Amino acid sequence: MSDLHLELNNVSKRFGGLQAVDHVSFTVTEPELIGMIGPNGAGKTTLTNLMSGMLKPSSGTIYLNGRRIDGHPPYDVTRAGLGRTFQITRALGRMTVMENMMVPGLAHNPRGGRADLEARAHEILTLLTIDHLTNELSRALSGGQRKLLELGRLLMLDPAVIILDEPFAGVHPRLQDTITNYINRVHENGKAIMFISHNMGAVFELSQRLIVLHHGAVIADGAPDAVRNDPAVIDAYLGHDEDD
Amino acid sequence: MVVFRRFESAIDQGIGRRKLGYLVLVLVILFFLWFPNDTSQSNYTKTVFISGFFYAIMSSSWALLAGIAGQFSFGHMAFMGIGAYAAGLIARDGITFALLGVSIGPESISAVGSIIIGTIAAGAVGLVIGWLLLRLRAAYLALFTIAFSELFRIMMLTEYDYTGGSNGLSLRPLLQIADVNAARQVEYYLMFGLLIVCLFALYRVANSPIGLFLRAMREDEDAASALGVNVVRYKILVFVFTSMIVGFAGAIFYSDVGSERIIPEQLEILQMSLIIAYAVIGGMESLIGAAAGAFISRYLLEAMRQVVITLPFGMTTYDGSDAFVWEPGYWRFALFGVVMVFTLRYMRNGLLYPIITWFSGRDIAMKETVSRRESDDDQAARIEADDE
Repeated sequence: MSDLHLELNNVSKRFGGLQAVDHVSFTVTEPELIGMIGPNGAGKTTLTNLMSGMLKPSSGTIYLNGRRIDGHPPYDVTRAGLGRTFQITRALGRMTVMENMMVPGLAHNPRGGRADLEARAHEILTLLTIDHLTNELSRALSGGQRKLLELGRLLMLDPAVIILDEPFAGVHPRLQDTITNYINRVHENGKAIMFISHNMGAVFELSQRLIVLHHGAVIADGAPDAVRNDPAVIDAYLGHDEDD
Repeated sequence: MVVFRRFESAIDQGIGRRKLGYLVLVLVILFFLWFPNDTSQSNYTKTVFISGFFYAIMSSSWALLAGIAGQFSFGHMAFMGIGAYAAGLIARDGITFALLGVSIGPESISAVGSIIIGTIAAGAVGLVIGWLLLRLRAAYLALFTIAFSELFRIMMLTEYDYTGGSNGLSLRPLLQIADVNAARQVEYYLMFGLLIVCLFALYRVANSPIGLFLRAMREDEDAASALGVNVVRYKILVFVFTSMIVGFAGAIFYSDVGSERIIPEQLEILQMSLIIAYAVIGGMESLIGAAAGAFISRYLLEAMRQVVITLPFGMTTYDGSDAFVWEPGYWRFALFGVVMVFTLRYMRNGLLYPIITWFSGRDIAMKETVSRRESDDDQAARIEADDE
């Protein structure tokens, strides 16, 4: 995937007196599996919101494949090739599972034939093991099924970069395997995937690269083994002795 | 119930529900086309029907705006008023484009021309209001549109010299037919045709990708935007589209078709509340439901002005009459309120929703999928079983 290039330069976000994201810079140029971790309140979701256009940075720039996307509305960022899921799933409740899939399908590909898009949606739903719920209203789905539906909607967009916010939270362990398989499969298709998770087992199992945030700043960025032993990371997670 | 199940089964195996639905729709249209030819019907009944068609347009277009797109606006009657007042003022005073130095006198503007300008004016204001409402949701959107609606009504009421104040404004008559009976007949067909055209346009939008995006916005604007839907564009689009529809309908209705003048009283919040009530009772997520709700409600409210109950078994009232006459006056609105309370509590999708769902066959798909529902644990067990 030679044309993949996501670049964050000194991105900051301030809410009044709170520095939620503090001069974050990193680059993604490969279809990597990137875990983003950090204690609660570290700024992970805020950074996701900044990258996906939900929030405008107070300062700094974000480029995706040479195009500046910071401050652009979410639909524009999505069309530029960056898709995301939400920490708390946001299924379109009074619409069927198929309609949920068709929204990104038609938004991304307005001239695509409905039949082709529906066939593609069905293929994705089968991959995610929820094809039997095609005509079900999405509000009737369980928490895990909603997570799978959100992942399915992303595939309809075919983005170059995918950000998954807590994909394993509140999901049955067996469905977590389905999600893990999905992540691996999508990654094999040349997508860069960033995922936020507090499930350290899954993070270390899946990640090729780890970015650690603390108080809004990146304190470590590298291979999981190196990050695991980084004193700053240990300090952020476990705290330090008053005497040190 | 058993009889109904047998009937249902026979339909499913025979013509099919959807086809039966289309057949019923065609029969309803044929009834309305035949109705004015029934010589036993008075002009008053035809007038009630004309008013019913107008309110059906108002309610169904509001159903697209609020029920499908989730924009709970109280400004619908105001947009209708803008269409009517703009058409009336242009037809009376003409129009001057000061920047271009062009002036068109009223004698050069036909009734049709004034209606077109009224429609464009409603759409233009809809564009501005839609843009101003971009960041407002739910209660704030409702409050904003109430304020806008009242602002417009008070302007029309106080600018007496231009608008005629509480006496209202006469528009240029669209039809000039001397014979009253013939005129009523043509007016009836005009408003019925307008209803069909508007419903068709609304239906096309609601069932297009735009309709899908509007429903996604209604469910969750942020999620829709993250899925690639240009929320700003579609929010403005739905305001402009519905404003133009009601502006157009208002300009035609008050061009001496359904009423001879537009008055500010028509723009009161009570009138807007009635539009909402009609849509809620019929089904605010269904265009046909909202239209039917409005028409039936209007008809019943008129029919209940005087209720005559013939007493059976030779019984008489205290004054010797064999019929009991009840004139409920404003009590009929109270009864209407009771129906609305019942609808909101027990049938939130509207009284007609079960019928529309039955004809569309959607309940079959729902029953099938409900039987396949499973919890995360069940699904995990199924996947494991599949793996083995």
